[in-house]
Formats: sequence, C-alpha cells, structure tokens
Amino acid sequence: MKNKLIPIALVVIGAILFGLSFLSFGSSSGDLDISIVKSNSIMPAAHNVYSNELALDGKYYLFKAKMTNNGKNTLEDVTVRYRIPGYVEWTELDIIGEMFPGQTASVRCYPKFKDDISEKMTESTEKVEIEISWDGAGEDDIIDEEFSFRISDRNEYMFTNIPAAEIAGWGDVYNNDALLACFVTPNDPIVKYYTQNIQEKILMGEQASVTKDPNEAVRFLAGIYNATVLSHMVYSGTKGIPETLQDVSKFSQHNRLPREVITGNTGLCLELSLLYASILSNAGLDPVIFLVPGHAYPGYRLNGQYYAIEATGIGGEGLGSIMSAEEAFKKGMEQVSEFYQKYQNGDPRYTLVDIHAVNQEGVTPMVLKDDDFLRKKVDDIVASWGSAGTIAQTSNSGQMANRVNTGGGNSGGNSGGGNTSGSSLSFAIPGGWQTYMRPVPEIPIITAQVLAPDQTTTVTVFDVPASSGQEALGIINQYFQSYGMSIQYQMNGNQVSGQTFSDNGVFNWVGKTLRRNGGIRLVAVGAPDYLYGQSTGYINQVFNSIQ
Amino acid sequence: MKTIKNILILFLLMLGFLAMGQQTQQKIDMDIDNVGNAKITVSMTMNASQWQVWNANLGNNPAALKREIERSMPAYFLDDFKLEKDDMNRSFNLSLNAYGVCEINKRGVWSIETDQKDANVTELTDHKYMLVSSPMELGGAVQQTFTINFPSEATDIKVDKDSLGKSIFEFDMNNTAGGINFMMWGGLLFMIVGAGWTGVSLMTNKSK
Repeated sequence: MKNKLIPIALVVIGAILFGLSFLSFGSSSGDLDISIVKSNSIMPAAHNVYSNELALDGKYYLFKAKMTNNGKNTLEDVTVRYRIPGYVEWTELDIIGEMFPGQTASVRCYPKFKDDISEKMTESTEKVEIEISWDGAGEDDIIDEEFSFRISDRNEYMFTNIPAAEIAGWGDVYNNDALLACFVTPNDPIVKYYTQNIQEKILMGEQASVTKDPNEAVRFLAGIYNATVLSHMVYSGTKGIPETLQDVSKFSQHNRLPREVITGNTGLCLELSLLYASILSNAGLDPVIFLVPGHAYPGYRLNGQYYAIEATGIGGEGLGSIMSAEEAFKKGMEQVSEFYQKYQNGDPRYTLVDIHAVNQEGVTPMVLKDDDFLRKKVDDIVASWGSAGTIAQTSNSGQMANRVNTGGGNSGGNSGGGNTSGSSLSFAIPGGWQTYMRPVPEIPIITAQVLAPDQTTTVTVFDVPASSGQEALGIINQYFQSYGMSIQYQMNGNQVSGQTFSDNGVFNWVGKTLRRNGGIRLVAVGAPDYLYGQSTGYINQVFNSIQ
Repeated sequence: MKTIKNILILFLLMLGFLAMGQQTQQKIDMDIDNVGNAKITVSMTMNASQWQVWNANLGNNPAALKREIERSMPAYFLDDFKLEKDDMNRSFNLSLNAYGVCEINKRGVWSIETDQKDANVTELTDHKYMLVSSPMELGGAVQQTFTINFPSEATDIKVDKDSLGKSIFEFDMNNTAGGINFMMWGGLLFMIVGAGWTGVSLMTNKSK
C-alpha cells in the first residue's frame, strides 16, 4: 500500500496543478487596458452617416475603443457590446478571435438609430454603456465603461465637430460641410409634392434633367424662385454662417428643413439653399450649395458648368425690395464668378457642397414621413399662385435662358470678339486655365487657345472658311503641313477625334464642329499621347461641355 | 474600415496642394510587428516649389500635420509621430505608430485589407511585399511605392480576395509573448508519471 501512496499523491498533485492552471493562467484572467475616444455630440439629421462605417471613410463614429492586452494570457473571443438606453439595445460591436499578450485591437461604434430619431425636436444628453468580456471571464473580469454625449434636435446643424479651441483654419470651420447633404431631402413626400406643383403650375412642364439643356435648367431654377416669390416667402436673416474664425457662437445653426421652409414661408440663406437643392435633386439635376463667409446660395452643376441663383432675392415687403428671377439669377452668377476667383486663389473660406457627390460617399438624407397637414398647407400655398405662375414663367425665364449663352460665371467659348453668339460653339473653361486669343498670328484660323495649368492639355478654337467639317479639317491640315505637322482624324456627325503628328510627338484630341458665320468652327481639346490618359478627366469635362 | 488604401490615400491627401505637372515619388514603409501593430514611415523628396508649398501648409506646422493625419485615419489609433526634414535636399521622413492595423479572426487567421481590386502586389521576399500605385486623387501626379514588411513570426502569407473581390493579405502568426504555462504542463507531467507509477505497481503486485 505504501508504495502506491507516492504515485497516487503525484496524480492528485498533478490534477490540482492542472486544474489551478486554468484558474491562474488560463484564458479566463486578463488585464485589458481600454482607452475610448468619443464624439461629444451627434446630429439626428445625420443618423444615416453615423450608422455607416463606409460613409466619408468612417469619419463619423460615436466612439472608438483601443484595447490592449497587458496580461500574460491570450484572451479568446473578446466581445465588445454597447447600448444607448432608449435608442439602441445591447448590440455586439465586434468579436476579436484572439488577443495575444501585448496585442492591441481597435473597435469603432457606428450606432444604428431608428429612423424616428429624425423627429427629435429637443436636444438631450444620453449615455453609452460599453461592456467588454471574453471566454471564461469572471464577473470581476468583465469591463464596463460608460460616457455621456449629446444628441441635438433634428434641426441643428453643426458646421464643425472640432472643439473651438482646436480650430486653426477654415477647413476646420467647415469640417462638417458634407453633412449639409443630410438636410437636403429630395425624397421627402412634402418636397416631392411641392416640386410636382412647381413643375405643373409654374413651369407647365419641364425636362431639364432629361435634355441637360442649360436653358431648360435655368428655366427650372427660375420656376423655383418664382414659386417662392408668388408664395410671398420672405427672407428672415440671421448671422448663421461663420464669418471669422472667432465666430464660435455661430458654429452651429438651427436649420429649418426644406418642408418647414415651404410651409413656414420663410427661410435663411442656408435654409433656402437646402430647399432649392432638395427640389433640384428631386427633379434630377445635380444641386450644389456654395458656402462663402457669412452667406450661402444654391445652384447646380450641368455639363461641367455651375449655375447659381441668389435665393434670398425674395427679400420681403418689410425689407423693401424683391428681385425678379432674372436679377436673382444675374446676382447668383456674379457670385459664382467671384466664388471661382477666390477659390482658384486658394481662399479656404469659399467652398461648395456637391450634394450628389457626397450622397455617393454615404451621406444620405434624413428620412421624413408624409404628413397630411403639411400637404394641405402646400395646397394652400399653391392656390395662392393662381394664374400668376404662367405670367412669371413667360416674363422671366425666357430672358434668363438667353443669359446662359451670353456667358456668365465660368462659361467660355471665346470667339474673335469675345462675344459668343447663340449659334456658336461654347464650352466650359475649368478653373485656372489660361486663354490666349489669336495665339499664332501666322495661322489666322486659330481663334483662341486655352491652356491647362499642366501646360500640356489644350483647347483650341478654329474658325475656318469652309462649307463642311471635312473641308475645314483639310484646310487645317494644310496649314499644319507648312509647319511640319500633319493630322489624322475620324468624323462622326459633328464629333471628331484625331491625332496631330509633329517633331515633338503625337498630340491626341477630340472635338466638335459647327457651321458658323458662313464657315466652320472646330473646338478641339487634347493632350500629348503620353499624358492623354492622365488628362482624360479634364478632356472629357471640356468635351462634354462643348455645345 | 482599416485598409492599406486608407493609408495610401491619406498620405496622398497630405500632399493635395502640391503643384501638378511633374510626377513625384512617395515611399511608404509599413513594418508590422508580432502583435499586429505597425510602424509606418513615409519619405519623399520634392522640387523647389513643391517644398515651399508643403512647408507653408504643413511642414512648418507639425501639429497641424499630426492632426490632419489623425482625422484622416479614424479607424486607427496613432502615436509617436516623428517628422524629420532635410531642407538641404527638400525631403522629409515622417514616422508614426498605428495600433491594431492587422485583424485576427476566430480561426486565428490574421489579415490586412488593401481595399483595391486586383492590387498590383509584388512579392519581394517571403516577408516583404510591394504595391505601386498612382492614385487618381492627384491625377496620377504622385507615384506611391508601398512596402509592407511582415514579422518573422508570420507564416503562410498569401494575397487572397475577399467576398467583394478586393485583394487581402492573410497570414498565420503564433504568438510567442505569452510564455509557457508551467503549472499546466507540470500538473500534466505529474499525473502521467503518477498514473504510470501506479499502473506499474499494480502490474507488479498482480504478478506476485
């Protein structure tokens, strides 16, 4: 019996050690260090952005946690859960399969709020509870963290989410500008209903998004403006948009939603811009909002060109004057011109939000429900338009449409005298490009040349005394041959693509021709073959704008 | 989302104000350690005008540079920023630590995503890979050479595709930092020896 005692004792001791090893060394015990970076405030209007980790490259999270395993053991199935009482139930954020000693993992939280958060009319302070556990973790091991954050009301727009003390430049002030797209609500049933009424009662039909015709698009813009004038909508001013970096008090603005602007019949510059953008988007155009110090105004992008209107031209009887649609458009285009000058000079206070571009980055509009009461209010407003809508449409829109051809803002197409007639080819000159009139006196058929900042991508305007495109290209070739160059081309209707060969290499180009003043005008844009692929974006932009 | 493309784009945006027209080279090295963290080093030489612009915007304001990088990489926890400028040669060297760059799944497989379809990956050595790209964000004006160094503990490194067809690095890596559980192995040894001893004793008694 004695000689069995020792081996049995060994087995017992071994079993005890083996069992203890799981208590003291096993995966159950851990020393996880947590550090949390949180958002102080979130906007209900942007709830679709906060819930989408792909939106704007994941910039808008509720919190992110850095977890480092400072213990000696590998932790398995480390699980991070969170909840926001009253908004989000316990939700698993991530399960990390293994966390080795010294390993760090980061987890980000993109909370999925219910759509009804966009009905939140008051701000509140809420709490996030976070729980981190792992396989075999005892109650004492489980880590609980919590922090408070603010949910604003649905109308609040914060220009930036950077603390005031950290603001260093205008890029910081406009840090949230992409989120303006959340307030652009083309799918709001009330906005849709209002848009339909403009299309039917004011414009008597429109096809701007179908034809991409600038005249038609401007007529649509005028239609929106006239609708607001006929509704007796008024501008009620406030200094909502920051003018200086010290304007900390203005780094948030209470925006009425487009539906509230329609039914409330009043709006600030930014609110009117949001309304226009919603209607334009609903009609299939590409809206943009221009942000400048102390002001915002709406517009759209069409065929590579930007158009704008001074929406606050509606003024109000109390303000003494109401601009006509033509005046508002003229003012808007002047502002676009100024905008581009400042923008090209690198002034960071001048920025624009291309609504559909940021939509594609995951910034989607807030979801709003239909409302019979608001529809009824829209009906009342539409009734006030009466037959005046037709009058407004005929008196203003036609004149404005002509202005597009006479050039405004960034419209190009310099003919010899600088005045582009309605029948000549015009095109949009991208920002920063230089125009040279009659650049080669020895070749008089070259009317103008526009050179990109890269000094290689070039637009050339030819005015050739010829009766057809073929003949015109033949004459151009003759001129070129006398300078040791030659061209090869293919024509398809009025479109032409070709190559120019010279001692300097091959120059690829595309263009369009049009009969003009008894001759042919050719506008061609291209680049050296080795840079053509790199310049395709610019070339297509210019080519598509030739009309 | 934590991907190599995020890193490439970030360091490209950091140069977003550079004059176009001349292709510039940028070198990014990512050294991954044995727990999935990375040391990232960016180096670049510029021409005279680019150097002036870069210095005016970020080079002379390292705090702004750090903040710009932190904001542009929300998926990462970053620290230990070091900027070394060589004004004589118009070049800079920026290094930083990024934590939790690689992820490990439940099967114990480590991964790092490129977020690029058919990424142009070249295997330089067993543990070193290279990606070359000229992102369109700057019109192809900057060529980025990205090298990724896996730790010596990494094995079976392969470039696979995720469910969306994007290239992804996957590898195995046993952790050596955890040490040996002497208590468990000692207990097991005691039990085996004890059980063996008991068995031998029983057999001996039986044969008697």
